[in-house]
Amino acid sequence: MLKKLVLLMLGLALSLSSCSKLAVKNGADALRQIQLPMGYIPNIQYAPFYVAVEKGYFAQEGIELNFDYSFETDGVALVGAGELPFAVASGEQVLLARSQGLPVVYTFAWYQQFPISIVSAPELNIKEPADLRGQTIGLPGLFGANYIGLQALLFSAGFSPEDVTMEAIGFNQVEAFAAKQNNIVVGYASNEPIVLRSQGFEVNELRVSDYVQLTANGIISSEMTIKEEPDLVRAMARALALGIADTTANSEEAYTISLKYVENLADQELAVQMQILNTSIEFWKAGKIGYSDPQAWENMNDLLVKMELIPELVDLTKAFTNEFVP
Amino acid sequence: MFVMLKKTISRIPWLGLISIIAGLLAWGLIARYSGLPHFILPAPYDVWLSFVKTLKNGTLLYHTIITLTEVVLGMLVGVTFATVVGYMLAKSRTLEKILSPYLVASQAIPIVAIAPLLVIWLGGGILSKVLICALIVFFPVLVNTVVGVRAVPSALYDLMNSIRATKWQILLKLEVPAALPILFGGLRIGATLSVIGAIVGELVNAQKGLGYLLQLGDFQYDTSMVYVAVFMLIFLALGLYGIVAWVERKFLVWQERSNI
Repeated sequence: MLKKLVLLMLGLALSLSSCSKLAVKNGADALRQIQLPMGYIPNIQYAPFYVAVEKGYFAQEGIELNFDYSFETDGVALVGAGELPFAVASGEQVLLARSQGLPVVYTFAWYQQFPISIVSAPELNIKEPADLRGQTIGLPGLFGANYIGLQALLFSAGFSPEDVTMEAIGFNQVEAFAAKQNNIVVGYASNEPIVLRSQGFEVNELRVSDYVQLTANGIISSEMTIKEEPDLVRAMARALALGIADTTANSEEAYTISLKYVENLADQELAVQMQILNTSIEFWKAGKIGYSDPQAWENMNDLLVKMELIPELVDLTKAFTNEFVP
Repeated sequence: MFVMLKKTISRIPWLGLISIIAGLLAWGLIARYSGLPHFILPAPYDVWLSFVKTLKNGTLLYHTIITLTEVVLGMLVGVTFATVVGYMLAKSRTLEKILSPYLVASQAIPIVAIAPLLVIWLGGGILSKVLICALIVFFPVLVNTVVGVRAVPSALYDLMNSIRATKWQILLKLEVPAALPILFGGLRIGATLSVIGAIVGELVNAQKGLGYLLQLGDFQYDTSMVYVAVFMLIFLALGLYGIVAWVERKFLVWQERSNI
């Protein structure tokens, strides 16, 4: 009872938006309501989810998704606590969470490559990671995917993070670059460099994925859900895989579908949004959609230990599985 | 019967300490028997271990000093500006009419909404955090300054004028002492708010300070570390409040004597 009360408080914010909808739908049909923490605001990059919902792939699997645009760490904690069956999260979150005892498992690789880029002013002539030595680099904070990606790139070049100056600038990379406060910033390959170019700035871009393979965003579940409801995990994977395949095959259609889900998308420049979507698609393309590369997991595990974010290597056999990949 | 029980309880020595111990015990029991995982609710002992660990490796002290520096500088800037502007507003109704819309509007803007803008304008260094602290401290101190200065009885002004006191003498001998009790009320509120200001700044661009430690704990799912950072913030706020209250007692000895 007490456990329920405290968890209720934790999940209240996440639940409020979907409560009324749940009440209506439960009586209407037999679809299983799934609240899915997305980790970010509504965005064209979530097109595969929107496409899969709109085309009825989730409904065919007996699932009705309720998108929940809360923080990534909150979603992971709720899945770890057994309150929610799934969340969208990055690979490093799974290892960080498991290191603290959260029984979360990565079940479906949405992004096949780590989508982080280092964006720099052309006059700095930064063409490879080694050129970053001695530079000041702006990034949202000393946490999250941007931080992980930058560190991975620095380690791949064979020098330590102390060889650069990292400056936390919040999620203001575009503004800081445009105002010439930071002429090197870290951001998502499918966001900051595209936005900056659309505003007329010339930029050089180093993609982390060109130098090191790391596990990125995907669907996570919990050991309990996997044990008790393996069919649900499989159904989720099947539906999302179809959404990714359709989005990859027809990005224009995916954009049109996303208009219904992303507020103000229609008001934003079409060319930029299509570029964001098409760049994202590059990171989703896979020989087998949803498959997790074990080497990418090992690299991430090693990196987190090197960064002293986890005290020792996490048991990867429990951290991810390809068992549910369609 | 009830009144007697209340009196008996209030006479128990170390009541505050007993209350804290009881609170810790209750927390420990809930953590132990509720079945909640430790990443949702760590036990007090886990938090203590995390506290000792971060204290020993110097992490906690380092980040606490950073936050304390921001808070103290922010308070200095905020209080200085607030008392100067507050005095001017108290003395000039015209100026008050001109500035009031801006001052009131500034309070309607949540500081978390403009913190990212301040970081863009002023950079990610200490300056943006100090300014956020100063902004959050500014208003309560300003309001209390205005109220304090205006609360000086006009008869006392007449008295000072009758003995041909200069403006400086009126300020130092009459207005400042008379306004101090109310001003200190604003300072007490400002002391606790300034800690919130520093944390808002640190959360926007986390690099160092207790806000960063809090975010790092969240990012690493190390809930015990989050609790350590939160408790340190509470101690900082209580410490600053205590210092202001102590200074208030020292400065306002005359008031206590006059009340006897």
